[in-house]
Amino acid sequence: MSNPRWQTPAALRRIARRNAAERRFRLLGLGAIALSLGFLALLLVIMAKNGLSGLNWSFLSGSDSTDPHMAGVWGAAKGSLLTMLVTIAIAFPMGVLAALYLEEFAPRTRWIEWVEVSINNLAAVPSIIFGLLGLAVFINTAGLPRSSPLVGGLTLALMTMPVIVISGRNAIKAVPPSIRDAALAVGASKVQTVFHHVLPLALPGILTGTIIGMARALGETAPLLMIGMRAFVATPPGGLTDPSSVLPMQIFLWSDQIDTAFVENTSAAIIVLLMFLMAMNGLAIYLRNKFEVRW
Amino acid sequence: MTDIKLQARNVDVYYGQKKAIDNVSIDIDNGLVTAFIGPSGCGKSTFLRSLNRMNDTIADARVTGEILLDGEDIYAASMDPVALRARVGMVFQKPNPFPKSIYENIAYGPRIHGLAQGKADMDVIVEKSLTQAGLWNEVKDRLNDPGTALSGGQQQRLCIARAVAVSPEVILMDEPCSALDPIATARIEELIDDLRQTYAIVIVTHSMQQAARVSQRTAFFHLGVMVEYGETSEIFTNPREARTKDYITGRYG
Repeated sequence: MSNPRWQTPAALRRIARRNAAERRFRLLGLGAIALSLGFLALLLVIMAKNGLSGLNWSFLSGSDSTDPHMAGVWGAAKGSLLTMLVTIAIAFPMGVLAALYLEEFAPRTRWIEWVEVSINNLAAVPSIIFGLLGLAVFINTAGLPRSSPLVGGLTLALMTMPVIVISGRNAIKAVPPSIRDAALAVGASKVQTVFHHVLPLALPGILTGTIIGMARALGETAPLLMIGMRAFVATPPGGLTDPSSVLPMQIFLWSDQIDTAFVENTSAAIIVLLMFLMAMNGLAIYLRNKFEVRW
Repeated sequence: MTDIKLQARNVDVYYGQKKAIDNVSIDIDNGLVTAFIGPSGCGKSTFLRSLNRMNDTIADARVTGEILLDGEDIYAASMDPVALRARVGMVFQKPNPFPKSIYENIAYGPRIHGLAQGKADMDVIVEKSLTQAGLWNEVKDRLNDPGTALSGGQQQRLCIARAVAVSPEVILMDEPCSALDPIATARIEELIDDLRQTYAIVIVTHSMQQAARVSQRTAFFHLGVMVEYGETSEIFTNPREARTKDYITGRYG
């Protein structure tokens, strides 16, 4: 530090300015985190205060009712589960295959570029429009039963697929090209290279994207309004074609009730939905760690 | 005593409109190591990759002319590029083991080609390949460890063992030592000398000393053209072309 070039007033001022900028940025970042976590904490506290008292076995095992003390969340939760099953069964294979084709097989033509832009646009289409599409195609044209988890799941699958394609393509792109070279050089075909090497390496990323897409679909209300899932359903659905509700819809319906006793139900249902979401995110983290390949 | 394994006749390679290789004709013999040398970007790797159709994976790459493997045109419609790559193996610049166990790295090729009848047979292939690559003694007790946990030089020998495991006829090596330290490099060079008894070997290298050490034939490439091809001893002591002489004496490159 004895070099006088670093001891001039100008140099010292520069260093002080840099250090101040460093401190300012740290504070700003910390503030941003505190603000967003603060809102989350606020939400949790309010929900817990209003809803925890309503969380009991009869609430968890019952279905919707006009009497707030009889009403339960199981019907809607089961509807959500069935709907998600349909969504993942359709959207995951379709999304992964589309992503693999676009990344690994598609020739770089104008037409493929147009497909890529369309998929990116599809991911940004407002969800209510998917609801209208589902109403027109699945109910009015295909004649599938209104208000059913089957139609709800199909509609949400349309919405989730582009999300899976986009995250899948990113995960596939992140697989180093040297692995493809290695497989091809020992005489693996293109399909063998993709399914033996590229897909397994991309899977953790694809799964993470899929579960984030599914979590979004789980919280989706607007498109399901259009296909009739806002009906009052007093029994849990027995199968994919029975009329049913879903958790966010149940929250929406209860929050609309005049009877103040439903406030507790609404909050309790929100707690249940948040648990669902946390479980899914936990699953995403677990799967990512389980399948992650260390280099 | 030598016989021709690979023959290139008037080969041009294009990337889109750009001509990367211009009219190269070369005979590559069995039982010899053939080195391709030349400054960066001279097309030697491009030409190497056209010998087992790895260029097929690059969308706008195009090869014209003839490349014959045992007299058979490898770009003919009747030639399956997948089968070709099992016959003409390749080792890359950066070691690229699969992120799987050492055993699986070797077993993958033989398995997809149905070369082993059962586990015992596969064990034999794995041991033989690793022995050929001079790696067996170092890894025989940890065949289930990930291949990526080995050192760089070991990884490259693993990649050589992987290439050897499918019993190819030719092994192409694209600067196989450029990511390795001098000791690992020396081991690979010894290995190359052993392997040439069994395989025709073509090696691209930036190091002229390496070409002089491991090869019997050397081809000098410059700006997509093969300037000179001959006995390694001739090329390094008595080159015919002025450009070759300038390159090997360090005038450019």
